[in-house]
Amino acid sequence: MTSVTAAPRGVDADPEVDEKTEAPPSRSGNPWGYILRKIGLFLLTLWAAVTVNFILPRLMPGTPADAALARLAQNGPVSEATKAAIEAQLGVPTGNLFEQYIQYLGQVVTLNFGVSYTFYPQTVSELVSTALPYTLVLVGLVTIIAFILGTLLGVLAAWKRGTWLDTLPTVGGAFMSAFPYFWTALLLLFFAGYVWRLFPTSGAYGPTATPAFTWDFFVDALYHAILPAVTILITSLGGWILGMRNTMIPTLGDDYVAFAEANGLKPRTVALRYAARNAILPNLTSFGLALGGVVGGSILVEQVFGYPGVGYLLFNAVTNQDYPLMQALFLMITLSVLVANFIVDILYGVLDPRTRR
Amino acid sequence: MTTLLDVTSVTIDYINGDDVTHAVRDVSFSLEKGEFVGLVGESGSGKSTLGFAIAGLSKPPAHVTGGQVLLDGVDIASLSPEQLREQRHGGVAMVLQSGMNALNPVRTIRNHFRDIFEAHGHIEKDRWDARAAELVQKVKLPATVLDRYPGELSGGMRQRISIALALSLEPKLMVFDEPTTALDVLVQHAVMDTIIELQQSEGFTALLISHDLGVVLESAQRVLVMHDGEIVEDAPAQSILNSPQDDYTRMLLSHYADPRADVVELPGFEDRGKRAGKPRAEGAVHPPSVHGRERRSDQKPIVVENLTKVYPPPRRGEAEVVAVDHVSFTLDPGESLALVGASGSGKSTIAKLITAVEKPTSGSIRFGDLDVGSLRRGQFRRLHSEVQMVFQDPYAALNPLHTVEYTLTRPVVNFTKLRGRDARRRVLELLETVGLTPVEEFAAKLPHQLSGGQRQRVVIARALASDPQVIIADEPVSMLDVSLRAGVLALLEDLREQWGVSMLYITHDLLSARIVTDNIMVLNQGRVVERGDTADVLRNPQDDYTVQLLDSVPNPRRSRVA
Repeated sequence: MTSVTAAPRGVDADPEVDEKTEAPPSRSGNPWGYILRKIGLFLLTLWAAVTVNFILPRLMPGTPADAALARLAQNGPVSEATKAAIEAQLGVPTGNLFEQYIQYLGQVVTLNFGVSYTFYPQTVSELVSTALPYTLVLVGLVTIIAFILGTLLGVLAAWKRGTWLDTLPTVGGAFMSAFPYFWTALLLLFFAGYVWRLFPTSGAYGPTATPAFTWDFFVDALYHAILPAVTILITSLGGWILGMRNTMIPTLGDDYVAFAEANGLKPRTVALRYAARNAILPNLTSFGLALGGVVGGSILVEQVFGYPGVGYLLFNAVTNQDYPLMQALFLMITLSVLVANFIVDILYGVLDPRTRR
Repeated sequence: MTTLLDVTSVTIDYINGDDVTHAVRDVSFSLEKGEFVGLVGESGSGKSTLGFAIAGLSKPPAHVTGGQVLLDGVDIASLSPEQLREQRHGGVAMVLQSGMNALNPVRTIRNHFRDIFEAHGHIEKDRWDARAAELVQKVKLPATVLDRYPGELSGGMRQRISIALALSLEPKLMVFDEPTTALDVLVQHAVMDTIIELQQSEGFTALLISHDLGVVLESAQRVLVMHDGEIVEDAPAQSILNSPQDDYTRMLLSHYADPRADVVELPGFEDRGKRAGKPRAEGAVHPPSVHGRERRSDQKPIVVENLTKVYPPPRRGEAEVVAVDHVSFTLDPGESLALVGASGSGKSTIAKLITAVEKPTSGSIRFGDLDVGSLRRGQFRRLHSEVQMVFQDPYAALNPLHTVEYTLTRPVVNFTKLRGRDARRRVLELLETVGLTPVEEFAAKLPHQLSGGQRQRVVIARALASDPQVIIADEPVSMLDVSLRAGVLALLEDLREQWGVSMLYITHDLLSARIVTDNIMVLNQGRVVERGDTADVLRNPQDDYTVQLLDSVPNPRRSRVA
């Protein structure tokens, strides 16, 4: 989890009196202790998440085979042969819970999540590894771009407070982010895709292209990604602008900013190194949340634009009760949240010396 | 001597839409080169506003609406923003009030110096580090602090760094805006010494802005006294002290006394020795409620034995902190006991332990049959109806969203059986007790509509709501202007004399301790180093630490400059 450790309150015992004797030893010199602690925490939460992912489905009564048989039984009696076939296909748990857990851990480590029911006979690993790059590149990259762009605009808005450079991004951003995502998406699809035929309306690449690391495929994929990317950018940019502007304005009133001005530092230095550098810290937490939501939160984008990413896969897995696929995807979503938080924790450590203790 | 700064008829207004407040009115004065001048005034007098205007740092809503500020013959209002920025090297430098927060928490000290050198280019790049080391040595810090982040340094060290940074601009004029106010007493004294030494060795002109006439008279050659936006007196320090002309100056001076003197008197307070058991004033406060009077008969002492509080290490790899170390004392009914010491001496921790905010590591606190240390959550009501706290910062101790009446009704309803109209009557009675009249009017006010002194009275009224036997006052007047302090102290004294409330008075201010307490305990690093009758201990201190504390009391009658 992203944790911002506030500087510990002086427990009424600052060694103020003998202050002139010696500077206290630096506590920010060695970053490795901090990084190792964060890695340890990451591994621990990862293990917990993997274990919960194992336990949850087992709390449901019956096995997948039982569920499939029950569905079949509604249409008439099920023969022993059919039953044996389904059980062979879906598998029946053997051994006690602990043995199953060990077996499961082994499979997770080797990325063996079994075979998908919906896309039989493709394995879950194959499906996920094809879909993941599309989602990561589209949603992940756009989230990062939106964060950087929005933060810069927010800095500018706060610095030029009260001018049109403030009003335009602030009001515009609030206006655009008030649109529901799907509505913006449909509007863009209708005009840019259908009426003006500027962009394709679905898919990650054209019907004639084959996924490969070639320039032609890259251009084609980029072309297909523009509409969904623009939609995400439009709806999320406003939040970053407002967030940064609102943390930057109080920071501009802080004493170190006033002192920097009193010392005659260049306005650019004051705005970026003093104000923005500190104002960005609280926004990193929301950035972490947004990054963590990339994999799990892409369902709507990918559904509207028929984009074959993880969200699309998850939607299919849920509607078709594809347990192996679902379980792998849930693990992916958890993992992406953990990784995003880990990245933000490390970022905090780099950007804020006070967290490195 | 030549004139460095010439301020003529300067008027500064705070403009919020149509709402105009005159913060500084038609002020004129000048500073000669190499002078050390003090600018004294209470909060709201406009002294900081004036200081910012001189440094060319006025920001909306403050607007300089009249007059001019000439620095070396140049009108600073005529400079473009870029020229103003450039003149900060070799012009006016400013050290801010909260210098401890004036450093960027994510940049090392070295980078702070580099930013300034880079902005003005007055030091060769290969000399940057050497110059920075030289500057921190001037403020008596080791060069090793350069690689620290501000959060790793103490408040006093940070204030020294910001003085060094201002010094790196090679200024002609240094404006110090309350440079030591936020610091601990002992550190305050040391930092002031450094400022005085630097002014003499570096030869800059200094303007010291302070609310504390004592601090200013100790260091400045000439003093400007500011009141309500006007300079009411401008005279050499000696004549301010010996023959003050203005009533306001005289009033400020009357609130200073040497806690070591044989007879210590402040406005409204006769010397405790002379009073000898006679009340300070007759019938000054409203009598306690019937309920309260009934309980006076069975008052109990607070008995503290071998109290120890150890906090876990503040940071990884450090030793644990012994905040309170085997302290024993008894607070008898109706007694007033002072607990004095610098910050970090453990005095506030003792307050937290007695009010059961914290649990003692070992030792015991007994109040009648209550064992305070072993109280569990949910058992605090009995303790808190008898022992109440008055906090240091009246600005933070009141919820800004609630009216005074609401704030006072809560404890009345929580601790007494009064409800509805009776509770309201009790609230108004409390307001009358603390002297906030007309009571109806004050009951309806919100905290931001009150002055600091009025807020502190509300805080005291809140503490009185449960008719407590003991009041723990943690630096109750340190955030208030001098002229308001005496009133609040008098109120506490009257409550003790007429209601029989005993008081644990926690402070670093030995003068106020001398005025309102019978007995004193001096704490140093959690241990009691000296105790006894307040007047005896202060007149004839035995421990070095007590002497240090006494020496750090600003004293107008002792000049530190030759």
